[in-house]
Amino acid sequence: MTGSLHPPDTHPFVRKMESIALFPLSREERAALCALPMHVARFDAYQDIVREGDRPSRCFALLEGFVAAYKTTPSGKRQVMAYHVVGDVPDLQSLHLKVLDNSIATVSPSRIGFVEHDALRVLFREQPKLLEVFWRSTLIDAALVREWMLNIGRREAYTRLAHLFCELITRLDAVGLAPERTCAMPMTQPELADALGITPVHVNRTMRDLKAAGLVTVRGRRLTVEDWEGLKAAAEFDPAYLHLRSEDGAKLPTS
Amino acid sequence: MSLQLQPVQVATGSEDQESQLVFHEGFLVAILVRLSDLHETDAGKWFLEAGFGRVTDISGPTFADIDEAQAWICARLGSSGT
Repeated sequence: MTGSLHPPDTHPFVRKMESIALFPLSREERAALCALPMHVARFDAYQDIVREGDRPSRCFALLEGFVAAYKTTPSGKRQVMAYHVVGDVPDLQSLHLKVLDNSIATVSPSRIGFVEHDALRVLFREQPKLLEVFWRSTLIDAALVREWMLNIGRREAYTRLAHLFCELITRLDAVGLAPERTCAMPMTQPELADALGITPVHVNRTMRDLKAAGLVTVRGRRLTVEDWEGLKAAAEFDPAYLHLRSEDGAKLPTS
Repeated sequence: MSLQLQPVQVATGSEDQESQLVFHEGFLVAILVRLSDLHETDAGKWFLEAGFGRVTDISGPTFADIDEAQAWICARLGSSGT
């Protein structure tokens, strides 16, 4: 199965790369991305796609769903390092780091497109400017982890959860999946606890507080932001660390 | 090992207020809070709101009843009985 299943304009992977590229992708570059040989597979929720210690010969792009990058302590306590959204390539580092140092699991039923490392090497040889975009995406993933470290280490529960909601909405909006600041939010409260470094009891209390403040509503595993400015203020949210092209727009070359 | 309980109200910022200070040999070792209806299926369970010293546990365990909570605290303090 190949990426040609998706028209170029809507291929989530292309859309993601365009959202972070510092230059407009050429027709050839978009076509080359769409033509990447991709083995598409479906995963139920809570399945590991890759595990810490794996030595993969391929990367994957998330085409539908949600995945979480995580690590566990020897006693089984789990910390989510990042959520990845549609269009992301969460294990791109495996191209150069031969042993994975984290696991990645689905949070909701997901569709995954596996791409062989060799196919990526060919792509970068033929479209060297795309290498810059992929490199940039790994740097942004690292920036995201830095922000999470600040969030988990130094913010109170209320601010942490608000920040996670702001981040999810902003990242999903970049790939067209948060219309009117509403998005899928498939994580359960214990899962959010694993991501935020607080207890499920505190997640529940904090979620209630954010709702009571009129900032968000959550219905049927969908998050709706009712007051974006209020939520951003509660979250101390500055999207600069996501390095989206829309945020960096002024810095884009005009030619 | 015996624990002494002292009922208090804790300002958790939520409806979870009914609480017990847990003492061992005169020292405060834990604060247990009874979960309110806010927590739906977990309502009525006891939550380790805070633990001190060997009773610290960042995962925030919950217990079906106060006896189970006390047994867990005793185990943490190094004894199997209450």
